Amino acid sequence: MKNNKLKSIIQAFFTDLLFWIYMFGCTYFLIHCWFEIELTNIHILVAALVFTLVFLFVGMSLGRKIFSPTKLTELKWKKTFWGWTIVFLLIITFVVGWNLVEVNPYKFFTQFKNARGISSGIFDPSIIGYKLTEKSFEELRENDVPLVVLEKLESIKNKSHTTKKVFLLSIKKKLDVNELSEYKSSIFEYAQKNSNMLNRALTALAETIFLALLATIFAIPFAFVLSFFAARNLMPKTFSGNIVYVVVRTIATIFRSIEAIVWAIIFSVWVGIGPFAGMLALMIHSIAALTKLYSEQIENIDEGPVEAIKATGANTLQVWIFAVIPQIISPYLAFTIYRWDINVRMATIVGFVGGGGIGLLLLQNQQLLRWHNVGVIIWLIAAVVWIMDMTSAKVRAKLVEM
Amino acid sequence: MNNIIEIKDLHKVYAGGTHALKGMNLTVKEGEFCILLGLSGSGKSTLLRCMNKLIDSTSGEIYICDGDVVNATGRTLRRIRRQIGMIFQQFNLIKNLTALTNVLTGKLGYVSLGHSVTFAQHKADMKLALENLNRVGLLEFADKKVKNLSGGQQQRVAIARALMQNPRVILADEPVASLDPATADSVMRYLGELNKKDKMTVICSLHFLSLARKYGTRVVALKDGKIVFEGTPKEIDEKKFKEIYGEEAEEVEIK
Repeated sequence: MKNNKLKSIIQAFFTDLLFWIYMFGCTYFLIHCWFEIELTNIHILVAALVFTLVFLFVGMSLGRKIFSPTKLTELKWKKTFWGWTIVFLLIITFVVGWNLVEVNPYKFFTQFKNARGISSGIFDPSIIGYKLTEKSFEELRENDVPLVVLEKLESIKNKSHTTKKVFLLSIKKKLDVNELSEYKSSIFEYAQKNSNMLNRALTALAETIFLALLATIFAIPFAFVLSFFAARNLMPKTFSGNIVYVVVRTIATIFRSIEAIVWAIIFSVWVGIGPFAGMLALMIHSIAALTKLYSEQIENIDEGPVEAIKATGANTLQVWIFAVIPQIISPYLAFTIYRWDINVRMATIVGFVGGGGIGLLLLQNQQLLRWHNVGVIIWLIAAVVWIMDMTSAKVRAKLVEM
Repeated sequence: MNNIIEIKDLHKVYAGGTHALKGMNLTVKEGEFCILLGLSGSGKSTLLRCMNKLIDSTSGEIYICDGDVVNATGRTLRRIRRQIGMIFQQFNLIKNLTALTNVLTGKLGYVSLGHSVTFAQHKADMKLALENLNRVGLLEFADKKVKNLSGGQQQRVAIARALMQNPRVILADEPVASLDPATADSVMRYLGELNKKDKMTVICSLHFLSLARKYGTRVVALKDGKIVFEGTPKEIDEKKFKEIYGEEAEEVEIK
């Protein structure tokens, strides 16, 4: 009993201390921004400590309120000092947040023109490129296009144009209105067309899908085995059983909380930039995530069959094979497909930091400001994510019925 | 006749503090059909699960088929368990496997891991499993997934699974509580047949006195973790019934 009281006082003390540090920290941040007054961390800490102790002794401690059995909703906040402090806390949090995030609605509404390049790229992706080569000129000559026109076009010979619109703009600058209307169609007909960007993007996309697939496949056996050790109901409630459970769970949680993008940075240094690094990054992350999903599935199984198979005299492995695995196999498949789906999306991001695939291509084109190429990539990613999302949802629904 | 089950001063206290069994003493002779009566929570399920150590007892002794259940672990425990077939209220079959595979799992206590994942290659096991399915009248359902069978059929698959163990004792934990009256009787008939024809000892918890009278050779009634009555089914009259089930209880007939 006495122990409990001490515990609640300590809890209350630290809650109050954190609260006051936060309050003074926020207030100081604002004063510093507006009035340029310099204080050190020690000042804030001391002030917070003093306030905590004073309020703890006066009996107006927030921590006490939180850890007391009375429900917070039952307290009449309008009439208490603490009610108003909390209102103040919320307001100051909002103001500090606004300052830190540099929220600026003016920029949002007035600077759209900066994004014109990328938006034109998105609405006019470079699916087919145009180029007037030596051969195009010959063919145009044979088709009775006057030399005057061809001479005007000489300056854009062998110049690549990413889209039809860009090509048209280019011709417009060179020819007058009559020439344009008369010869436009033949110029378009004999210009050399290529779909280089589309092909490159498709190749990179395949790379991304397959690296996500391999990451998922390689993760399955590891996660499958680990999930049994991370399932509370399968691990014996002995000392060693608990140790195994806690260790596997903790490692899985740590690996999962490190984002795939961080793993990609590590592996792109380790094995070099490219899809292999991306695959390794996604694999590590998938193992951790699938272990958690799988083991939760095991924890949700019907215990009845486990009991029945145990009663036949089966050993532990036989119980797992006959009573546990048949129950989890279809949810496992569903989760794995879902994970592949997630991995395809993550693979794009991972590509940005050296994981290869379409992400890398996107980064390169974005840095060269080739917005029409970026447009192609963005549409392809959107299409793949959309298709995978739909099909995986359908397949998963079917699997759950099984 | 031999005593096949001997239970001495058995106590079970659950982690939550519930004292489910308070000094149970019970002896069952080979070949008996022993009915356990009692309200829900009187300790019937706990007693049955202590007998094959699905639940660890807190103190006391249990001997079944000459095996010391309380102190058995690992291989010894599995040897005892395989001689004891168990039937459950919720059937506890593996629902997305076929009836045949479910019956085959009854053999697990006798075979190695490698053997158990290649049952299809072992003709003798397959033959025996089909024979047992035939015995409960479900041969044509051998390749059906269990979840597509009715409640009564599922319980018969469970009986075939227990038969696969070639057990000396069958523990049945309210085997008919989730079945309709007609199906209930047919399931009990199979248990009765195992008792009479195959000389298996059956311990079965029930709620229906009429079924107890029809199939039981002996009745043990539990109340609050203690035995309050032991005798033949005929000895239970209205007074005894009210003692077991409380004053307000009325006997429900099941034919």
